Formats: sequence, structure tokens, C-alpha cells
Amino acid sequence: MREYGQKERAWLWLGDTVGANVRLAEELLYNNGGIMELFDSARRGAKLILPEKAPASLSKSLRNNCSDSFIDMLTERMEKAHITAVTRDSEGYPELLREIYDPPTVLYVKGKADLNVKLPIAVIGSRKCTAYGKEMAAYFGRRLAEKGACVVSGLALGCDSIAAENAANTAPNDMPTIAVLGSGVDVVYPYQCAALYNLICERGAVISEYKPGTRPARENFPQRNRLISGLSKGVLVIEAAAKSGTRITAEFALEQGRDVFAVPGRITDLMSVGTNGLIKSGEAKSVFDVDDILYEYGVFGPDVEKPIKDTDTSSLTSEQREIFKALLGGEKTVDELCMITDYSVSDINMYLTEMELSGIIKQLPNGEYGV
Amino acid sequence: MLAKLNSYGLTGIEGCLINVEVDISSGLQRVDTVGLPDNAVKESKERVRSAICNSGYAYPEMRVVVNLAPADIKKEGTVYDLPIALGILCARGIFPIHAADDYIIIGELALDGRVRPVTGVLPMVINAYERGFRNFMLPYENAEEASYFGDMNIYPVKNLNEACGHFRGTRLIETFPQLKWKDIKVRHTHDFSEIKGQQQAKRAAEIAVAGNHNLLLIGSPGSGKTMLARSIPSILPDLTMEESLEITRIHSIAGELRGKSGIITEHPFRAPHHSASIPALVGGGPRALPGEISLAHYGVLFLDEFPLFPTAVLEALRQPLEDGIVTITRASAKTTYPAEFMLVAAMNPCPCGNFGSKTKECRCTPMQIERYRNRISTPLLDRLDLHIEMIEVDYEDLISKEKAESSEAIRARVCAARKLQLERYKDDGILYNAQLTSQLMRKYCTMTADAEALLKTAYERFKLSARGYSRVIKVARTIADLAGSETIQKQHILEAVQYRGVDEKYWGTR
Repeated sequence: MREYGQKERAWLWLGDTVGANVRLAEELLYNNGGIMELFDSARRGAKLILPEKAPASLSKSLRNNCSDSFIDMLTERMEKAHITAVTRDSEGYPELLREIYDPPTVLYVKGKADLNVKLPIAVIGSRKCTAYGKEMAAYFGRRLAEKGACVVSGLALGCDSIAAENAANTAPNDMPTIAVLGSGVDVVYPYQCAALYNLICERGAVISEYKPGTRPARENFPQRNRLISGLSKGVLVIEAAAKSGTRITAEFALEQGRDVFAVPGRITDLMSVGTNGLIKSGEAKSVFDVDDILYEYGVFGPDVEKPIKDTDTSSLTSEQREIFKALLGGEKTVDELCMITDYSVSDINMYLTEMELSGIIKQLPNGEYGV
Repeated sequence: MLAKLNSYGLTGIEGCLINVEVDISSGLQRVDTVGLPDNAVKESKERVRSAICNSGYAYPEMRVVVNLAPADIKKEGTVYDLPIALGILCARGIFPIHAADDYIIIGELALDGRVRPVTGVLPMVINAYERGFRNFMLPYENAEEASYFGDMNIYPVKNLNEACGHFRGTRLIETFPQLKWKDIKVRHTHDFSEIKGQQQAKRAAEIAVAGNHNLLLIGSPGSGKTMLARSIPSILPDLTMEESLEITRIHSIAGELRGKSGIITEHPFRAPHHSASIPALVGGGPRALPGEISLAHYGVLFLDEFPLFPTAVLEALRQPLEDGIVTITRASAKTTYPAEFMLVAAMNPCPCGNFGSKTKECRCTPMQIERYRNRISTPLLDRLDLHIEMIEVDYEDLISKEKAESSEAIRARVCAARKLQLERYKDDGILYNAQLTSQLMRKYCTMTADAEALLKTAYERFKLSARGYSRVIKVARTIADLAGSETIQKQHILEAVQYRGVDEKYWGTR
């Protein structure tokens, strides 16, 4: 069982009573002279200097909760759920977070509790990512983890989970990924990510500033996003629409003085408007491979795996090669392939399945096929 | 005086002989209708009275008893107006008592004596013909409907006076000319040549029709899902007379022939709205009337906005889809209707329809999209053999002069493939590939070695479900039939796999 020091217990008390309302906690600390002073006053039953806007019940609940038995109950409960608390005075508290405007008082962690990782890079992107977004998220997630970085993400559907999954499955990294939740650390949301959640708990860490058991609420997510950027040295944006949660995270990153990277997309793609906009305004560095990011942090490697595909076409028949060439020029539907190549539909269907089976091409939404 | 005439009623889809007996005796003026009449039959005495008076006859100011025998079957509808009126006139001695003995008389009366058309004439006529009746007096509008069936005399009647004159022998009604089945030319309102582009969807439709498979179309609004579905009847093989009569019979019972003449010669195309209830779709109501699936018998049932149908309604389709018949049981009636229809379902890729589009923004959240797609249960999805995505056609495609293949050319291929199947399954009690059981599949779906190896790879690579796997084989069987090949070759499997490709994208499985 993890033992919490006196100071840590004080933070636990504050974190459990005030919750994720960091502003309120900061004001309390400021008014009462610090965490230990606040804790002592509460225990002695002395009058606490409350902020003006504090809820009426606050002083009562602060006093009720400061007993040893209550804090013991908290720690026992966390122990049972395999949750570790990392407070501002704990060793594992990420140094990078201390730099931001309103660092959380307590982080609840499932998995590895030392959050000071070597090279944390946030990988974020749209939940409704395109095939391109999926591919890029997978590439960057995997390659960053392979190069020793830690992929920080939000366990959302789409880019986030794809990047995290690819990072978590990378063998030699002992802290490949951290997921920051907008709910309690023991609440899996969205439910589709349950398997990934377990994988990350095992390989990396799932963290949250919300008390265990907190349900996901809409307003939690933008607040959560500040932690994703705050935890990281750099933020890589895979895909983002013009107005999106991903853009919000990118803005947090800029405010917090983090590096922002963006994967350029086609100027006509709706899902690349946000990323291209970041590049255009000079707020983000455009990245073409993983070394463009690592270079900024002094990580150099001789082996450069470029995202540009180089498929071996020697095994293809001449018909297949013709279709492959057509698809190289951009995604196409069966109809378009019919027009370009003059083969019948049934033949094209046949060639497409063959190439799909060998993994050379794949189906995309909207009836299209791509390399 | 007593008069006896023959009329016909319906119990479910079958007709049944009803004797109309009219007795006039002295007493206070009063009319009684006995023999389990429903309201429409009870009210008939008022129509009959006015019709007789307005046709220039005197209504008997005596006691009138009308008996509809057999007395233990419920009598419904308005078909007994004409026989009751004629019975009263006969009992009054207006025409000889045995003049109408071997006639079946059917018709509703208007107050001025005109004869109005009724529903369900064809099943009645067929049943009566089988019982040996050859003379039919029918409302003029119903005559054509009955005239394709067998060698008999149909006397189309326009009003009560005509009917009376006929039986008096003063002015005989000319029999309706018997129509020949082969003279019928079916004109289709839609043709495949009007559909520009959409090669893959058209090919899928051809395969679906050839093997009687069901089809799922996924595409954004305006991608032509409805247009394709509407054109499918034009590539179905022409109806035989028996099929046509069966369709007409069902439609006749449901009253769907009202205002139309004759017999149904075109494959039905039914497109119920997604607010349809279970009784509306599979049949029901107090009289256990046929629903949309039976009205789509030998035709196409098109369900647009498939996921918006209530789940219970969709699940209710599963049994008739398997069996081709549906039995409706109600307190007062139990009927089995045929329901051999081809299901064509259409849906958008997401609630707003723009999912995956590069140019239009999809406004749905991932959760909304998932909820929308999950409304289609996997067992139901598996019953739709071919899944195809339709893409909006470019303007240039639409205006291109080049005409696509006509329905007639496609129909020829479909007919050839269907003929192969009929020949192959003649001893197995099934007609099409879609009906293959796993036992029959082992017998008839022989594959080349490389096709089998390929299927195994595809099964693993594409994570096919067990049902999805057998569907691929059935579709491949049809593709082989279209190509005239006895064994299933590698290329047939390869093509068949494509028609389940959408599943992985949308539902995570194939």
C-alpha cells in the first residue's frame, strides 16, 4: 500500500473537498497562507478565510472532511480501485504542469504513477477523422513511441485513440502513452475505448484531475484539454476542422508556451482546415515526418521512416497495376475506375478485392478506394 | 315468394360461395337481414330500397327476409347489394325464378341503381370457377380483372335495370371478351438506361435480382438510391399468368385495385414510409388483411430510411424474409398470405447524410452516427445479402450523352441465370440461390481449390461473420450463374466479397 505523507494527505483532503475547481483551491490557499496552514486551521476548528464566491457549505465540508479517518477512507478506497493520487507535493507530479496557469491540486492515476516522462508529446485530432487522419495518427503515435517519446492524448474516438493505441503497442518504450480523461479516472468514456483503456493502464498511465467516480460532463472536456497540452512539451495536431475541440487544445498549448505542430492536409479538405490554418498563421510548425518533431528536442536518429508510401508493385498483374496507378493519383470510386480503365464492374470488383486482400489498397468511406 | 341467388364472399384470401335467399311474405313492411351480416351488409337494405325505387320498380310493402347462407360465416362488404336487389325483384316475379340459378352475382348498388365496383373480385371468381360456375355477373369496372382467368362468361353490368333486363330475357348483356395473357405488353416506367454512372450499384442490382437476394443501399441524399430501387422491377423476369393472378388476388383483397382496371401485370413496387406499423407491414387488422410485404409479393419492397423504421417492425420482417409466407392470426380470422418479395433497403451513412463527404460537412457526433447505424441489428444486416455504397453522381456524368445499358439487356441475363437455378433446384423445393440451406450449399456450391483458399483468406482478413461467410458463397453462386459457370471460380468469390465491403467500414464486421 502506498503511504501518503502528511502534506500529501492535506492535498488529498483539499482535492476531494474542492474537486477540480483549481481557482477556488488557489484562493483558499492564498487567503489562508498555504496548504499546511489551511489544513491545520481546519483541524483546529479555527475560522477559515473563504473566498467571496465560495459556496456556503464549503467551510462546513472542509472541516468535516479533515479527520484522519476520512482521509484514510479516501486512500483505502483508491487503493482498492488501484488508483494512485499524485499531489502537488508528490514526487511523480509532472514538472511541466507546474508551469501552467492553474495546475491541478491532485491527479488521480491508474497505471504508472511517475508522470515526469522524458519527452511528452500530445497527439490530438478530430474524433471524426478521415482515412488520412487515421493513417497519420497511427504513424505518428507509433513512431513517436518508438523514438522514446510519450504520447499524451485524451482517449477520445478518432485520432486520439488511434495514436494512443499505436503508441501503447510499441514494445521497447516503458512509458509510451498517457491518457487524460474528462471523467473520473475509473470511469471509461467513451465505452468503445474500454480495451484501449485497460491497455494504457497496463503500459502507461490514465490520469484525471476529477475525483474517482465523476461522470463525464460536457464542460469537463475543454478543462481537460488544458492538461493535455500542459503535460506535454509539444502538441501535434493531426486533423482539425475550423472550429473544434482540437483547436481549443492547440490554443491552450500556445498560451502555455508549448510548441505546436500540425500535419498539413489538402486545402480542400474540411478536416484539414484547422491544421492548415495553424500552419498558415505561423502558430504551428508543419511536420512531414516524425523527425520534424524530434529535431526540436534534440533527438536525432539515422533511421528515418517517411510516411510516404512506397508499395512494392512487382507482384501485381498488369490490370492491377493499372488500377493501382489510378489510385495513386487520389482516391477513386468504382465508377471512376470503370471510366478510367475500361474494365467491367465485375472485373474491377475482382481486382479490388485481390489487392485489398494483399493489403495494397483499402476501402474508404463514401465508396472510395485508396492506396 | 322465395328467391334464391348465388353470390360470393371472402374468407381471407379464398372466396366462398354465399347463397342469398329472399323471402317476401305478407305482413307489416319491414326488412330483416340475417346470416351474420356486418354493418356494411346491414346497411345494404337502404341502398337496395332506393336503387329499386329509382330504377322504376315498386318496392314491396310487405315483410322481407334476406338470409345469407351459410349463416355461420361472417359476411362483410357491399358485394351482396346487387344479389339482394335482384332477389327481391325475382321474388316479386319480375323475372323467372330459375333464370339466375347458375350465375354468380356480385356488386354494390348506388342509390340511383348504378352498380359500383367492389374489391376482391378475382379471388371470388377463381374459387367459383373451380367449383364449376361459368356465368358471372360483375360490376362493369371489375370485368377486366376477372377476364384473364379461364373460359367463362362474364356479364359486365352497369345498373340494376340492365341486370333485370338480362334475366327477364328482354335485353341480354353481351359477355365481356376474354382477354389473352400473351397480348399484354408490360410498360415499365423506369429503365436502367436512365441511371447514369452507378456501375457498381447496377451490377449489384443485377446480381440481387438474378439470385433473388436482398439488397442494402447506403448513400448520401440524392445519390439515386430510390431511382435504382424503382428500376429494379424492370429487370425482373416477366410475370407468368399464375403469378399475376396471385398478385392481383392479394391486391384485390386489400382493395388496392380500386380505381384501377384489370389485372396486375407489373411487378409490384411498394415503398412504405418509415412510420409504418407492424400490421401495416406484415398484415393484420380485425379482418387480417395483407400488409405491405404481401402486396410486394413477386415484387420489390423498398424501405427507404431503413434505420428510421422502428426496431420491432424491422425484426418482424425476419421470419417472412426466410419463409416467403406470413400467417396473420386475429380473433376473428386466421390467414396465410404469400410474401415472396425482394427487400431493397436504403439508408444514409449518418443521420445528416454527409458522412465521408469531402465537400459537405457532416454535423453528426460520432455517438449519433453509431446509434444510427446500430439500429440495424447484425442478424438483420446478415439477411441483406448485398451491401453497396452509392455515391453522388457528378453533373458531367448526368449530362453525358452515352446511354447506359437498357433494362431489357440486363433482364435477358437475369432470366438466363434464373433458368439455371430453376433447373438445378427442381427437386429441392427451392427456386433461387438466396434460399439455399447450408445442406444444399454443400451440394451445389462446389468451388475450385483456389477459390476455396481465397475464401479462407478473405474470411480471416476481413473478419467475416459465419453468416456473412455463407452469404458470400450464395452471392458467388449467383455470380457464377450469371457467368454460366457450373463451379464457383476464384473471380466469383472475389467479386462477391466486394458486396460485403461496406460492413467493415460501417459496422466493424463483414
